[in-house]
Amino acid sequence: MPTISLQRDELEALIAGPGNTPSRLSVDQLEQWLMLVKGELKGHNPETGELRIELQDSNRPDLWCCEGIARQIRTKQQGAATAYPFFKKQKRADEKLMVAAGLEQVRPYVAACTAIGYRVTPSGLTQLIQTQEKLADIFGRKRRSVSIGLYRLAPIVFPVSYDLVKPDDVRFTPLGMETVMTLREILMVHPKGVEYGGIVSGHDRLPVLRDAKGQVLSFPPIINSREIGEVQVGDDRLFVEVTGTDLHMVALTLNIFAANLADRGAVIAPVEIQSPVKTAFGKRWHTPIDFGAPRTIPLKAIETALGEALGSKEVTSALKSYGYTVKSAGPKVVVQLPPYRNDLLHTVDVVEDVAISQGYARFAPVMPSQFTVGGLSRLEHMADRVRHLMVGMEFQEIISNIMGSRQDFCTRMRLDGSEWAKVVEVDNVMSLTYSCLRQWITPSLLQVETNSSRAFYPHRIFEVGEVAVPDASADVGSRTITMLGAVIAHAGAHFSEIHSCLDLLLYYLDRAFTLEPVPHPSFLEGRAGRIMLGGRAIGLLGELHPEVLEQWQIGVPAVALELEIDRLLDEA
Amino acid sequence: MDNFHPLESKVLLALAPQPGSPSTLDHLAASTGLEPSQLSMAVEWLLAKSLIAVQAETVAHIASLTPIGEVFFEKYAPIERVLSAAREAGQTGKRLTIQDIQAKEALEPSDVSKAVGTLKKEGSILIVQGGCLESTGRNSPTAEAMRALLHELRSGPRELQTFAEPLRAVLQQHAVKRGNAREPFRVDERVTRSFLLTPSGQEAADQLSRDGVAEEVSQLTPELLKEGAWRTKQFRKYTISLRAPRIAAGKRHPYREFLDLVKLKLVSMGFQEMRGTLVETEFWNMDALFMPQFHPARDIHDVYFVKNPTHARMIAEPYLSQVTEVHETGAGAGSTGWGYTFDAERAKRLVLRSQGTAVSARRLAASPSVPGKYFSIARCFRYDQVDATHATDFFQVEGIVLGADINFRTLLGLLNLFAREVAQAKEVKFLPAYFPFTEPSVEMHVRHPKLGWMELGGAGLFRPEVTAPLGVSVPVIAWGLGLDRMAMVALGIHDIRDLFSADLEFIRTMRGSF
Repeated sequence: MPTISLQRDELEALIAGPGNTPSRLSVDQLEQWLMLVKGELKGHNPETGELRIELQDSNRPDLWCCEGIARQIRTKQQGAATAYPFFKKQKRADEKLMVAAGLEQVRPYVAACTAIGYRVTPSGLTQLIQTQEKLADIFGRKRRSVSIGLYRLAPIVFPVSYDLVKPDDVRFTPLGMETVMTLREILMVHPKGVEYGGIVSGHDRLPVLRDAKGQVLSFPPIINSREIGEVQVGDDRLFVEVTGTDLHMVALTLNIFAANLADRGAVIAPVEIQSPVKTAFGKRWHTPIDFGAPRTIPLKAIETALGEALGSKEVTSALKSYGYTVKSAGPKVVVQLPPYRNDLLHTVDVVEDVAISQGYARFAPVMPSQFTVGGLSRLEHMADRVRHLMVGMEFQEIISNIMGSRQDFCTRMRLDGSEWAKVVEVDNVMSLTYSCLRQWITPSLLQVETNSSRAFYPHRIFEVGEVAVPDASADVGSRTITMLGAVIAHAGAHFSEIHSCLDLLLYYLDRAFTLEPVPHPSFLEGRAGRIMLGGRAIGLLGELHPEVLEQWQIGVPAVALELEIDRLLDEA
Repeated sequence: MDNFHPLESKVLLALAPQPGSPSTLDHLAASTGLEPSQLSMAVEWLLAKSLIAVQAETVAHIASLTPIGEVFFEKYAPIERVLSAAREAGQTGKRLTIQDIQAKEALEPSDVSKAVGTLKKEGSILIVQGGCLESTGRNSPTAEAMRALLHELRSGPRELQTFAEPLRAVLQQHAVKRGNAREPFRVDERVTRSFLLTPSGQEAADQLSRDGVAEEVSQLTPELLKEGAWRTKQFRKYTISLRAPRIAAGKRHPYREFLDLVKLKLVSMGFQEMRGTLVETEFWNMDALFMPQFHPARDIHDVYFVKNPTHARMIAEPYLSQVTEVHETGAGAGSTGWGYTFDAERAKRLVLRSQGTAVSARRLAASPSVPGKYFSIARCFRYDQVDATHATDFFQVEGIVLGADINFRTLLGLLNLFAREVAQAKEVKFLPAYFPFTEPSVEMHVRHPKLGWMELGGAGLFRPEVTAPLGVSVPVIAWGLGLDRMAMVALGIHDIRDLFSADLEFIRTMRGSF
């Protein structure tokens, strides 16, 4: 989840609140406070005052900014959240934003407000842009569900309209360009058009925000206009809008921005949104909007989950000082999240907030007391027996990666085109070296041989590990098999050596096997056997084909054994 | 007294008959009949034991032919060839320049000019107008000496001292020196040492000749045992301070040894092992864990998708319906759900297991014991660039604990137990954390003796949105331990890829301290 960069003195000032004297935070104190926001201090530069903080909670986008972190800490210090007047339902809004019909097919939702009286500072601008990017990128899934625009308010003539237009009909100068371009040109040429164009592709009409005079504010979610949509240091009248595909996410994002700007001293004024279709908020509503609902939770549920009888008073004060609105009602509490949060899915979310607010150290660990019997699976037990016997036969155990290449698992083993060349392949390959799962262990061991010609001989190596074998009858299209692979390599390596090992291994495991000759491309003809147990093939062994050794650049003869440990269980 | 190696006995006995008169290696070779290498070995051993001493060291200069000398012997030395060419020209009345000789005799210019210089000095030739050579008919002492030396040394090296003065001078003049390797002769120094018995050596030799040399054997054999002949044999003593020859052991991989220990600890704490498959559906890997299908961690850049087949045929009911319901409306779990339309086709998409928690999810749906404790050590795959901290696939140690007594405090208690038993840590810190499938969630940090504070694992109480659709009604702890860093410290390695090394020498020599 996001890592953000911010200035320590700015954080301290925001914690104190406008007009108050900030107090200095030590790094230790800061780390302590960061527990409230699931934040981890990743770095701090004492010279520049820069802090780098990673925020873990993907359901708390309100915390992915300096203002949000400060707000959570301030709320704890003050014992309750700051009340923001603009979240209260208001009779009228001075400014309006009209949504055109048809947008419900493209990018239906919009929310907007104005912010007046905060004069943008250089670091404040950096923070605004960072928040805009993090929210659109991570919460908004690369602008797909949510994107945000910030504008200078002065040139905008209300009402603003959110329209659909033909790509060639509207032109404006986008940010980062010198000349007027049509929407189609922006999609083809502008870096942001190229990057985000996919979001609106497939529509013959595209969204655009314009003011009453027809000036383009932006082409959401791609790019703002250069004239109106470039906020600069010193501006103190701003217009903020959010567009997207999810009504609540759009509203929440605007609420976060409104609270952030208010925390920096701006006065937020709502904008009335008029929609041609009915939404969960109706056809006309004001944003910012507090769309949360109170939730009644039995006190007992919280106490049981935490294992601590906290009592109504402690629960109430814990939640209040974490930003909730709380009413105690006998054996229940009625709670509501602040409008910049929308992550209350279940009572357990409240439970965690109580614990975080009080600090995890408030809860004394208790050992779970119920008795359970421990043990290994039958397969693991069998695999361990096999491993111990192999060690007793003087084999060195190997652990290899399961992911590799078809080249290694099939081609170099002379298996291409044979029945043994079926492997589980990856669709979204990152590198050809890691594009399949191994279907047997021997290639992993030959990899060791390739790398170990200077290690003194003889080499006796084995691995007990998982492989994946495609199998149409299996639930997930393949079977995961726990397999033994063993290789002996030295100047005189011989079939009988590995045969003796197999013989002894299955003697001790009390499995009466037989060998059948098998024509297998990886082995010399007439020197390979299929291991049969109860009428089923459970493995292979043989002298590796010289061409295989050549492929792996191995300079000594080698013999190999491959045995399905799962099958040993079947026959028990 | 020590018994001696047979070679040592031979040398001691060879020196004993002439007390006080030193013997050289040549003499000893003759009297013992030993090979030079055996002899010098025996002499070094005896010197080390102070049984013999070096009486004198004499330095001799030995002259011999170089490969160039061999060539000169075959084709005559340049000086002779220049002289005879000059004589021949005189007889036939031809004019002969230095260049002509060079061309005719195919000689190096430097050899020719040196020869001409010497011959002119000795009065054997004259240089007349036009740079022509003319023979005077006088012999060249140098040419004569050169021929004699080539002949003499052809039959073998000889001591420089044995040559008469004029020859010796020519030899030294034409011997290989630094900066001049193209010469027919070489002179080497040879140090000749002569040896004497020391008093203790004399004593040892006396004893040897008195007792006779008992037959020494190096190896006890079945025959010696069977016939009892070992009673009359002496067993040679070994130099036991020597380094032992290397052997390879049959042994477990040190990382596996570490994981075996973790396994043992978990079993001894009452955990049952669970196993899963390398290929999983998105359903069990993520949907069942209440990760919404639009969750950022479900991106194409986070998980490996399987190419063929792309989808499982079906997801078992009632789990598919119940999980769908909980994602969409939260119904059945007391939740609001995520409020989106669940894509059942997406749920069937096959992926490489990206988290061990998938194994736990399957276990929850398969009538787990209550109370119950489970663990798995599962190979997982992440879509990451492979580097020193990211392996293509890696082990995740994770599990679940079910029970009526499970709550936040027992969760902390369990983590305390892990810290003590698995990490031998005495100090533990619990931090709020975020996992999509647990609430509350905890990150456990422990103070490691070598690493200081480190994250040991993450845990939490499964959200009811996870447990309820899978038919579990008691609270469940989900936990995971990040042990790779601990393993790397225990094995003394710094690159996670070394845990899966393909270098046998490295694996043979790696050892752990745990």
